[in-house]
Amino acid sequence: MEVSKDIETLLDTLESGHIILDGDYKVTFWNRWLCINTQIDKRDILGKDLFEIFPSIDAAILKRKIATSFLLSTPTFYDSNRKEPLIPIKRNKVTSGSLEMMQQQVTISPCNMEQKAVMINIYDISEVHEAKILLARQMKKVKALNTLLESQQDLIDKNIIMARVSLDGTMVDVSSKLCNFFGYEKEELLGEKISLLGSSKIPEGIFSELWSRVLGGESWSGELANLTKKHELKWVLLKIDPVFDGDGKLKEFSAFYSDITNKKLLEELYIRDPLTKIYNRAHFDKHFNSLFGDQRKTSTPSALVIIDIDHFKKINDTYGHQTGDEALIVVASILEHSIRSEDMVARWGGEEFVMLLKNVSKDEAIEIAQKLRSKIKEANFASSLTLTCSFGLTLFGSSDDPIESFKRADDALYEAKNGGRDRVVFK
Amino acid sequence: MSFAFNEDQLDILREVMNISLGETTANIAQLLGAFGTMHIPEVDIISSKDLQAFIGRDLSPKEDYHVTKQLFSGHFGGEVIFIISKESSLNLAKNMFQAPTTTEDEINDSVMELTNIVTSTIVSRLAAELDVTVQFFAPTSAIMKCVEIVDEEVLSYSTVIVLKTIVDFQDENIVGNIFVLTKDEAIQKLKDLLDKKLEELFA
Repeated sequence: MEVSKDIETLLDTLESGHIILDGDYKVTFWNRWLCINTQIDKRDILGKDLFEIFPSIDAAILKRKIATSFLLSTPTFYDSNRKEPLIPIKRNKVTSGSLEMMQQQVTISPCNMEQKAVMINIYDISEVHEAKILLARQMKKVKALNTLLESQQDLIDKNIIMARVSLDGTMVDVSSKLCNFFGYEKEELLGEKISLLGSSKIPEGIFSELWSRVLGGESWSGELANLTKKHELKWVLLKIDPVFDGDGKLKEFSAFYSDITNKKLLEELYIRDPLTKIYNRAHFDKHFNSLFGDQRKTSTPSALVIIDIDHFKKINDTYGHQTGDEALIVVASILEHSIRSEDMVARWGGEEFVMLLKNVSKDEAIEIAQKLRSKIKEANFASSLTLTCSFGLTLFGSSDDPIESFKRADDALYEAKNGGRDRVVFK
Repeated sequence: MSFAFNEDQLDILREVMNISLGETTANIAQLLGAFGTMHIPEVDIISSKDLQAFIGRDLSPKEDYHVTKQLFSGHFGGEVIFIISKESSLNLAKNMFQAPTTTEDEINDSVMELTNIVTSTIVSRLAAELDVTVQFFAPTSAIMKCVEIVDEEVLSYSTVIVLKTIVDFQDENIVGNIFVLTKDEAIQKLKDLLDKKLEELFA
């Protein structure tokens, strides 16, 4: 098949190889790109049998592909991933890749049906092939990492108490461990607000502080009382982390829980009186001394009250220790439930209690003490017992010494006792 | 746009496909020096979203498959996916190369050759019926599990023409699934063609 001068010039300018074979597989055209890349000049190959010049070519396959292209009147192709290239060409570009021979994409198109002439087009796809190999290697690594991640996710799911929470507080995913911990099925929690797990023991203000922090994109952590489905109290250390999307916009939160119930129970045992369950003397002392530090920052005084049950020894002797213990429990309960959340009451020892009333005047402190005295006097005790208490109280301010303040309150109590009991004395 | 074809349209499509498969069989016989027949037990039109479930019906999730994809472009453009089991591809290569053992290159070559014949014949027939010209691109072949076949690229097509084909190579069944992936525009052309043929038929 004759190729016109114009077409020859055109094919010589292309950055790809083009061979024209006649019906006897003799080369009738060999373009410039092939001359350069194979180092075989046109005059050395034109008119020669392609299979003689390149004995490595599988003649049966190429002949079949040529026949197919004629029959279908469409191109046929060699597999671009094949290891043996059609025309072996050494790569002359220096690359970091490992391909020494040019990777080729070969198409065979019929170009003259009558003369059974075909054009073999060869494209250098070495760089694409290298990129594919590299990509395949990277994908293999990604797959291995994904497998690892999946196994770790499984590990997390089974061992970490955690939830994914939307910006409005709805649980969008929870771990199996969280479900077990709170006694719920996963379906019961998904779509519910995370506050479902909270307890009324959580002080007011904690939630507003928590939400303002996390909605501002910061982490929050703290100890909270939570409730299981069966209303069992669980103490947790909750850590909430913000999760951002690719644009840095707050997307959701991750909530991680650590069970600190046993630690909390131990702490409670350490700071509470085992009989009355109100704070013990050690905890009161700690609080009282820290209050003195705070008191220096404020000009409003606070009141210290010492309360003693009148004739307690007689009650024990007459009604027995059990009745005495029950009386202590009732008095402690009245005191604890009559004070404000910022005040404090503790068992000082025996039948004595101490109370701190923050930021009160003398008159207010006396009024509170009088009310408490009346409540105790009117309360119902076991064995139809009636009992009274004596109150010694004092005020302390920023310039006072804690020991001196305690002594004043103790002296006031002494006066109340000596003055006939069942009374409030201020000193 | 709805990809659903009514029963009449599907009947005509089956007929067109049967003619193409007849041509394909003749081409295979002439080119590969052989044998047997090609059946189309199933012709269907499904959404690409349903392709994974459709593939899962016939293919084993554990087995590896030779998956060859070939693009064709023009007014009726799309992609053909030819899926053949590893066992079938080995049988195909043994038949094509007339050898008891075959290399990886020979197996790939056989699968691609068959894909090219099937794709060219079927798509050329459809293109001729639609009176449009198409261009074929080099097929690419990979071995994968059936869950890996439907990727984002496949889902970018809207509609799939399903042709489940059995090629009888002498005494060995070579089962291949052919999926012609097309976009809305192409499927609308096909629907119009089928309607035109129906009109001609009942005129």
